[in-house]
Amino acid sequence: MMKTPLFDTHVGLNARIVDFHGWEMPVWYTGIKAEHLATRKACGLFDISHMGEIHVSSQGATSFLNHMLTIDVYPMEEGEVKYTFLLNPDGGIIDDLTVYCIRPEDTYMLCVNASNKNKDFKWLVSHNNDLCLLKDKSAHTAMLALQGPHASNILKACLDFDLEDIDRFRFRMHTIPEFGDLLISRTGYTGADGVEIFMTNEYVVALWNEFVKKGATPCGLGSRDTLRLEMGYPLHGNDIDEHTTPFEARLSFAVDLNKDFFMGKDALIKHKNKGLKRRLTGLELMEKGVPRQGHVCLKKDKEIGVITSGSISPVLNKGIALCYLDSSITEAQQIEVLIRNRRVKAIVKRPPFVKGQIHKSG
Amino acid sequence: MNFPGELKYTKDHEWARINDNMVTVGITDYAQQELGDVVYVECNDAGTRVEQGGVFGTVESVKAVSELYAPVTGTIVEANKTLEDTPELVNTDCYGDAWMIAIELTDPSELDNLMDAGKYETYVSTESK
Repeated sequence: MMKTPLFDTHVGLNARIVDFHGWEMPVWYTGIKAEHLATRKACGLFDISHMGEIHVSSQGATSFLNHMLTIDVYPMEEGEVKYTFLLNPDGGIIDDLTVYCIRPEDTYMLCVNASNKNKDFKWLVSHNNDLCLLKDKSAHTAMLALQGPHASNILKACLDFDLEDIDRFRFRMHTIPEFGDLLISRTGYTGADGVEIFMTNEYVVALWNEFVKKGATPCGLGSRDTLRLEMGYPLHGNDIDEHTTPFEARLSFAVDLNKDFFMGKDALIKHKNKGLKRRLTGLELMEKGVPRQGHVCLKKDKEIGVITSGSISPVLNKGIALCYLDSSITEAQQIEVLIRNRRVKAIVKRPPFVKGQIHKSG
Repeated sequence: MNFPGELKYTKDHEWARINDNMVTVGITDYAQQELGDVVYVECNDAGTRVEQGGVFGTVESVKAVSELYAPVTGTIVEANKTLEDTPELVNTDCYGDAWMIAIELTDPSELDNLMDAGKYETYVSTESK
């Protein structure tokens, strides 16, 4: 089992530890609801050091990434972050990730899902004809997410960093003697404003403690999941995978079909022209119950789809879910979810389910 | 963790409060802590027959779904409807307001299959290791 440098800190905070794809990670400290609401109302702090960081450099880096990723990498500026995909030749999603432009000429960082990191790295290495330099720095890189309306004040107090100085989906390097070189990025997976911070392992415990001292609430992966679900952000492995395309998942904003080529492009165009049979959308339950992954959706007794992620929204206090539904089903229609042997009424609703502080995920 | 001495316990982490032939049932402090924030409780209705060790309902937290098992055989005489609207009582008052069902038991000898508080506490400490 793998551990982040903060493992002992989590245990010291009485965290409930779970196995997350081979990582011993905190799922909650005091409770998922309390941590969720702390992030919505004040500030949550998440250890996401399990995430993978793949560095791509040297002269061929831009053209290589443009070949492998679905967005156009060439117009990216220094300090810009973009949400994008690695696709297989069939247009299926190998992983969703963010690409950080450190130097447009030759230096980028990919932040990838922990569970997919080794697969992603192998995939990139196997296609690296341009002889650019690929380095997996995940084992040495820690990552914190500081999210919520109070994140700005806490950043200012702890790091003398002004959040408002950077736009959404931008990052900046910031060096502080006590915490080393920090890459501070105005991004997140919660719908709240705030930052994600990359740093070397050695300083992360000190920075974590400093954030907590200034009022950030330690939050586990449980609330990270309910927060992203309220915003409708997909989770790879649940809502998207190698058998789903970005179009079915309604994530076309992160695909640039104007590019001459990228891995999976031809298959995607064919897939799009054939017409989409199903689409990822959201459900809000009209009755009590908790929708879960695998629950079947019905319309007039006919199976029309299946839930890929579901839980209770701590803000709405209602069951919410992401699901693939037959393309004939439109928004605001009433359907049923089969929860064990009970049929529960639900309304088709395109997420976000709650208004976040920010408007778009990329 | 709190395991009141006057109650009996099952291996599935239900407690039973015995009053003559009437048995009130809920889940233990250990169970509610393991589940985390409880968001949904569903129990069979009054009049339903249950078997010792048989499922009488479901409890769900944000993260997990767990079945509820009857500590004794008998007929459910009452299900606690307040939990439909306030499932969080399971976290705040698991031995009190968050009782789940009351069963009229048919065979008092079944009570011998349940653990007392001391035995249950030992059982929990071995299970959580």
